[in-house]
Amino acid sequence: MSNEKTESLFITDADLAALASDLIAAGTRVVAPVPSGDDEGRTHYRALSSADRFALDGPLPCGSLKEFFLPPTEVLLRWRRDQGKVEVDPAPPDAPATVILGAAPCDVAGPPVVDRVMDWDFRDEPWFARREATVVIARACPGRDASCFCTAVGLSPSSTRGADIMLSPTGESGGGHAVRVLTDKGADLVKRHRARFGAARGAAGAERLAAEAESRVAGNLDIDPRAVRSWLAANFDHPLWRRLADRCHGCGACAAVCPACHCFDIVDEPDGTDHGARRRNWDMCQFSLFTLHGSGHNPRQTQSARIRQRVMHKFSIYPERFGEILCTGCGRCARACPGGMDLPEILRELQRLAGGKSTAGGA
Amino acid sequence: MRELIGLCQKLLRDGDVKVVIGYEEGPRGVRPAVITDPAGCERLVFDHRAVHNLVAYLSPRRGHLRDLGRAAVVVKGCDVAAFATLLRESQLEREGAVLVGVRCGGVYRSAAGSGPLDEKNVADRCGDCGLREPGTVDHLVGELPAAPPVSGRRAARIAEIENMSPAERFAYWREVLADCVRCNACRSACPLCVCERCLADKTDPRWVESSPHPRGNLSWHMARALHLAGRCVDCGDCERACPFGIPLTLINGKVGLVMRERFGFAPGEDPEVPAPIGTFDTDDSQEFIR
Repeated sequence: MSNEKTESLFITDADLAALASDLIAAGTRVVAPVPSGDDEGRTHYRALSSADRFALDGPLPCGSLKEFFLPPTEVLLRWRRDQGKVEVDPAPPDAPATVILGAAPCDVAGPPVVDRVMDWDFRDEPWFARREATVVIARACPGRDASCFCTAVGLSPSSTRGADIMLSPTGESGGGHAVRVLTDKGADLVKRHRARFGAARGAAGAERLAAEAESRVAGNLDIDPRAVRSWLAANFDHPLWRRLADRCHGCGACAAVCPACHCFDIVDEPDGTDHGARRRNWDMCQFSLFTLHGSGHNPRQTQSARIRQRVMHKFSIYPERFGEILCTGCGRCARACPGGMDLPEILRELQRLAGGKSTAGGA
Repeated sequence: MRELIGLCQKLLRDGDVKVVIGYEEGPRGVRPAVITDPAGCERLVFDHRAVHNLVAYLSPRRGHLRDLGRAAVVVKGCDVAAFATLLRESQLEREGAVLVGVRCGGVYRSAAGSGPLDEKNVADRCGDCGLREPGTVDHLVGELPAAPPVSGRRAARIAEIENMSPAERFAYWREVLADCVRCNACRSACPLCVCERCLADKTDPRWVESSPHPRGNLSWHMARALHLAGRCVDCGDCERACPFGIPLTLINGKVGLVMRERFGFAPGEDPEVPAPIGTFDTDDSQEFIR
């Protein structure tokens, strides 16, 4: 980003909660990790109704931030039919002023990666309307668990990519975060709420925690993405794909929770006999219907072809077209998979096949 | 464990089966394993983390596994009930698979569970299990462990929901189902969702809207619940598969209670016992059906 500026500040936990309250009171949608209250201790990114509900130290939320830029379902236009004539009303994108608070760097990095395809041959206006209406306050991550692999895809638990403001825990007993203001949008938010921020402190503690988190995650997986990409381009028919399909159920859980997956389906749904809506819904490449042609032909007939597509799109096709990996290493696909598919494990295998050695993680 | 491993190795070596579907150690607890060589059977494990119902992998819509050839599948008693349901519905043939039953002391709610089994971490279904030592399997291994503890968690939650007013209940489900994005993991992981073309995928006409708005989600989850009435064996794989933590087994659990109360039926391991769906009785208690 050309408008990168770095101003350093500090915010206490009480001021952070107060900042959220101020924003909500001003009519801003504030999205933050919220405990679901279930026995498993899950969290979700939710629009807060009051500032007392968010919790920054839980597990990675079930879903990524994607739904706040590409909702699971949205109306593109409404239509009405009257005596053979069809009237069409485009629906303006719903893009409320939003502040995302305390999101993990792997989630925050997702939208900038997806921006590339959303502004490729066609500019996706609803996507960019929401991107522009949103200020992102990221929070450095301690490294959640053994499924994390952000460091293997060029990020880290303290990456600032996609963030307007970065919060870093400093390790002080009283809590609080070191604050770095990274963009004009971030500077504008800080200016409007200046009283909530104090003079910079705790940088050394924040750096130490970041270094610890980075080495923890780096121990999970170590690959050379270029070697993996070359191998993928040359091994379309490798027996590996067949083997990977064995335990796959062919559901879309991996794509649903992915910060970078962005495929969608468009459907016309009638509301009664003479009017209805055209909607855009998330779609998932592991469904056989995803590629089923009207003719009955399906170019991806088997689950192994669909798994190959998912891996190749992320680590070969997208890098080839846009120069970056379509994966932020959050590990959600691995955590969510009901069949026990594990992307870090698959990448480790690809690295091995590509001839390099991946010593980190695994058995 | 040696007994299980040795048996599966023998089945592969003797050519009785081409593939063994069992459990192995995965990155986050136990996970399904598909093994085609005898040496690979060394990976097999079975303990309280063996939560999955592996009969799902025998589904006729899973071409890629059927292509491997006849399978031996490691099953708990509750999993056998799913196999029996599919036999009853002519979805599978009895000789099509070798059932390797394991005497079961209950499972955790999650494949990543740990510690002694207690009323907090035990799967909701295990408490009143009558199938811990299945009788219709081809092989039965292991010693019978102590009976699992009983979890009153789900029954209490269902009672709570039943005590809501209809408006409260509707609001509850509307909120809970708002997290559904229709990834279909509940359907895909289900051992009994075997339709080659799911109702929810039909477009001409469109019975269930594919959009994850309240109407589409209510339609889908209601259809799923009713299609599993008298079929669901309460394995819980739908709920575990849901990436957003939607408590789907509250729905199936309630339908299961209704099937017991109204029809005196719960899916068991005998495929010859007729199920309410697909059965006609001239002495039916309901007048409209006679």
